[in-house]
Amino acid sequence: MNILEWTFVASVLTATAPVVLAALGGLLCSVSGIFNMALEGQLLFGAFSAVVVSHLTGNAWCGVAGGVAATALYSAVLSVSAVTFRADPVVVAVGLNLLALGLTSFLMRRILGTAGTYTSPELRGLPTLASLGLGKITVIGPVLGPQSPLVPVAFVLVVAAAWWLKRTRSGLRLRGIGQHPEAAESLGLKVGPYRHGVVLAAGALCGLAGAQLALGNVTLFSEGMSAGRGWVAVVAVMLGGVRPYRVLGACLLFGVAEALGFRLQGVGLPQQFADAAPYVITLLALVLASVAGRRRSARLEFT
Amino acid sequence: MRTTFKTGLFAYTGAALALMLAACGTSSTPETGASAPGKSVILISPNPVGVNSFLQLGVKGAQAAAKEIGASFKLYESKDPNSIAQNVDAAVRAKPTIIVGISFSFDDIFSTVPKQHPDLQFLEVDSCAKTQAPNLTCVSFKEHEAAYLAGVEAGMLSKSGKIGVVAPLDTPFMHRWIDPFYAGAKSVNPKTAGTTLYVGGNNPFSDPARAKSQTQTMIGQGADVVAASASGGNQGVFEAVAAAGAKSFGVDVNQCAQSPGNIIDNVIKHVDVAESAAIKDIAAGKTGGTKVYGLAEGGVGVNALDGDVASSQCTVASSPEVIAKVKQVRDDIVAGKVTVADPLAG
Repeated sequence: MNILEWTFVASVLTATAPVVLAALGGLLCSVSGIFNMALEGQLLFGAFSAVVVSHLTGNAWCGVAGGVAATALYSAVLSVSAVTFRADPVVVAVGLNLLALGLTSFLMRRILGTAGTYTSPELRGLPTLASLGLGKITVIGPVLGPQSPLVPVAFVLVVAAAWWLKRTRSGLRLRGIGQHPEAAESLGLKVGPYRHGVVLAAGALCGLAGAQLALGNVTLFSEGMSAGRGWVAVVAVMLGGVRPYRVLGACLLFGVAEALGFRLQGVGLPQQFADAAPYVITLLALVLASVAGRRRSARLEFT
Repeated sequence: MRTTFKTGLFAYTGAALALMLAACGTSSTPETGASAPGKSVILISPNPVGVNSFLQLGVKGAQAAAKEIGASFKLYESKDPNSIAQNVDAAVRAKPTIIVGISFSFDDIFSTVPKQHPDLQFLEVDSCAKTQAPNLTCVSFKEHEAAYLAGVEAGMLSKSGKIGVVAPLDTPFMHRWIDPFYAGAKSVNPKTAGTTLYVGGNNPFSDPARAKSQTQTMIGQGADVVAASASGGNQGVFEAVAAAGAKSFGVDVNQCAQSPGNIIDNVIKHVDVAESAAIKDIAAGKTGGTKVYGLAEGGVGVNALDGDVASSQCTVASSPEVIAKVKQVRDDIVAGKVTVADPLAG
């Protein structure tokens, strides 16, 4: 294996990590029966609040915590309106996505005193795993060395979520609520609090995704920097349904398409084609998934 | 239940919409400077000024010129082609001395509106409407000449002979920063190979994470100079070259201070200088026509040509032989001995 291929794996992981975190949030909502389409806006809001808190405290980890907390708060708009007032989550999500774009640009001018891109040598980004002593190990060094600690965390969280949904009592209850809320309610489960919980958790995960994007992938904030990653996460949730490993697979597919696109552009593939690749892959995957779904009986299982 | 649902929905979407409008609607900056009655300059941007250092320069130039001719200054920021038309409408109704539009986004609207308002003066910066009315003045630039000079520097300073550019989109206009850059590099080192990666995606002009990843890809393939033409994504390019010990170029303004020690030089477009000269000309009654700013007119350039290059924090300052060569190539271009092909021509 030469070094080039390991850097390819590394760039796939870098591109995938924020998407996986956001998609995991979308998945939890989806399991509970709420379609969370506000991932893009929450991702952007998370990136912004993480940078602001890191800027104010001078500590990247405080920035991560701030991004998580602020985005959970932001997602409360969705949880209150969709769960308490039974508003259509799609409509609220559209509002939240647009609001995030305007609000971050507006607050950026107010709090950071600049427009466009905010960056500063004093802005603390997350440390790389190489600087924490992982750089020397074979394979792990070149693949994980340039990543922030949040990248492995993202993948561990997928495993944790899969285990939680499949193996624990509360996970089972959440699945029950998603499959048949009335039946779950008649058994005495509190549907509302569970749903509030997962929407807020999804907000927190998007906050983590934003922090990874703005303090891990790069160390800066620029207007609209989520750049469609939240939408990719939404599509990954639609592709993977309520199965964490399938959602992870879909996210990785997008990551591979992006990283491969860069390399193919370098050897003459037109940019427009590289741009279209993720959408072509989505279409193909949707077709394949529906064909496979038709062949198999509609068993509900969680892997 | 039904009523709660509806009120809740309306309350939330209503609040969201109100905030949105407040946050990103058409905004205007307060008047600056002492304003003589009747004299005013209105600048209309094609996009929000925010991400764009080029538009920021445009605002700066118009502001300075307005101050000098004793006029008030207003900025109308547009979000899309539709809001450009609305802003031009509003500007025409305000009857200012001069209406300034920046970029090719005004080509269509400025080929009709000036004719309908012969009593007003219009200025289009960085492009020109196809049918030019006598009361429309145009200012355009030869960015490709400056990009060529940057290419000369890249060709001399690249050790691997592999250079690259990260650009937002594969459009003809963007090639003004790309093709001449490679041509300049090949003029000093014919073996130089150039690779361009385009950010693309949902937000090509402000996606630093992708720009960074693309830069890392090119560095991984052996490039040691990657020029940043990615607008809001530039900082991502700078972060990648800084981490890998490669070098980069900035664009439009001096960006060397954003990543000291990692940026060789900048492809500069003196939008402010050209624009403010044009506004002053119009105010003095010299209207109409197109003025093209190239190296000869000092409208474009690189920091290496400036007297204060030593304090610019650009790494080219420590390579006097490169600066000498750039100055010589500049003189050759101005004298017509070297012609830089314009990717937009033909």
